[in-house]
Amino acid sequence: MRRKPGISGLKSAAAARDQFRAVGENVARVKADLMKEQLATFRSQLEDFARKHKNDIKKNPTFRSQFHEMCAKVGVDPLASNKGFWAELLGIGDFYYELGVQIVDICMLTRSDNGGLISLHNLRLLVCQKHKTGRESVTEDDCLRAISKLKILGSGFEVISVGKKKFVRSVPTELNKDHNEILELAQIQSYVTVEQVERKLSWSSGRATDALKTLLEEGLSMIDNGHVDGISRHWFPCVSTSSAVVEE
Amino acid sequence: MQSLGDFKLPDFFNYPPYFTLQPVRETKEKQILMWKELILKYCKSQKIFIIGLEEEFPLFSNQKIQRSLNNEAREAFLSALVSEGRAEWIDRGHKRCLILWRSIQEWANYILDFVRENGLETDVMTIEDIRCGIETRGSDLERIDRGVLMQALKILEQKGKAAIIESSSADTGVKFAA
Repeated sequence: MRRKPGISGLKSAAAARDQFRAVGENVARVKADLMKEQLATFRSQLEDFARKHKNDIKKNPTFRSQFHEMCAKVGVDPLASNKGFWAELLGIGDFYYELGVQIVDICMLTRSDNGGLISLHNLRLLVCQKHKTGRESVTEDDCLRAISKLKILGSGFEVISVGKKKFVRSVPTELNKDHNEILELAQIQSYVTVEQVERKLSWSSGRATDALKTLLEEGLSMIDNGHVDGISRHWFPCVSTSSAVVEE
Repeated sequence: MQSLGDFKLPDFFNYPPYFTLQPVRETKEKQILMWKELILKYCKSQKIFIIGLEEEFPLFSNQKIQRSLNNEAREAFLSALVSEGRAEWIDRGHKRCLILWRSIQEWANYILDFVRENGLETDVMTIEDIRCGIETRGSDLERIDRGVLMQALKILEQKGKAAIIESSSADTGVKFAA
């Protein structure tokens, strides 16, 4: 639109701008209202759904993880707060809160055995042992969720992946790439020798010895000089299943 | 789970590195703690009093995983028990160790309870009667170590609960007081 010359031209241009703005605001408001309405509907339906399936969410681990997936897709975090309507509705906050406490407990109890590194698999087994009722009630997925909530406390709990396995680390030890590779190798036999590390990872002798020494000092491995062949073996309690059981 | 006779062995007994004395302090402390408990539990269940460091002892080796404790490890575990008062070296060379799965004081109390429950007050018993006699059969006093028994009886004597009767011709006797 070409501006007409003179004062009237300026005025009409200003009036047109105002009109456009008014219309624009109107459209935006209508859109926002519509969105609000949709959100409210959605929220109430999600609430209905959660209310209806409260027991399924609590008892059935598969259903629970699917519910979480659904919530994540629409950007709702039912664990974000313990005070929200989710917590009141489902008590789901309490579920993960308690699970988190149990996980901290188990990590502390087993720390002297495994040096503060426990496989997610073993952790879940121990959690299920504590839950005397319903052995199948807690999944690895639940444990991961509970651990992710522990991070808020700055407690230094972290999930790390070594090869195909996930581990939960409860000590501030930084594991570098070399250590991770050794842990991955150890998953095959539960132990490694210096020679195996050198051969399989194509490392120099010094690199292998150094990394193994650090792992030993951190309490993540134990040395075994008792084999008849006279070769020292480094065992990793965190990758073996037998030593995972805490004696009551 | 593996077992020795009727004794159930803990999981760590099948984990090879527990048979090597660990070089890292924290790991070693944990290892010693677990062995101490195992030795005490086993001796109590089998009523074993003396462990010879250089002799065969079921806990010192595990055929299943082909591992055995060397002398250094054996002495470390037993020394840890000695320092807690749960064991005593019998000789200076630390080759034989007396395991006190009950302390001497606990033994004294056990004897006193046993005597009361079985109405043996005012009876005179010889040491051999206590160790191999019919009255104590099936109790923990059966085949009790002679040295442990004498030390416990001395405690009772000091408290006036028993009188030890030394005899040159016969076995030492003891008379319990009501």
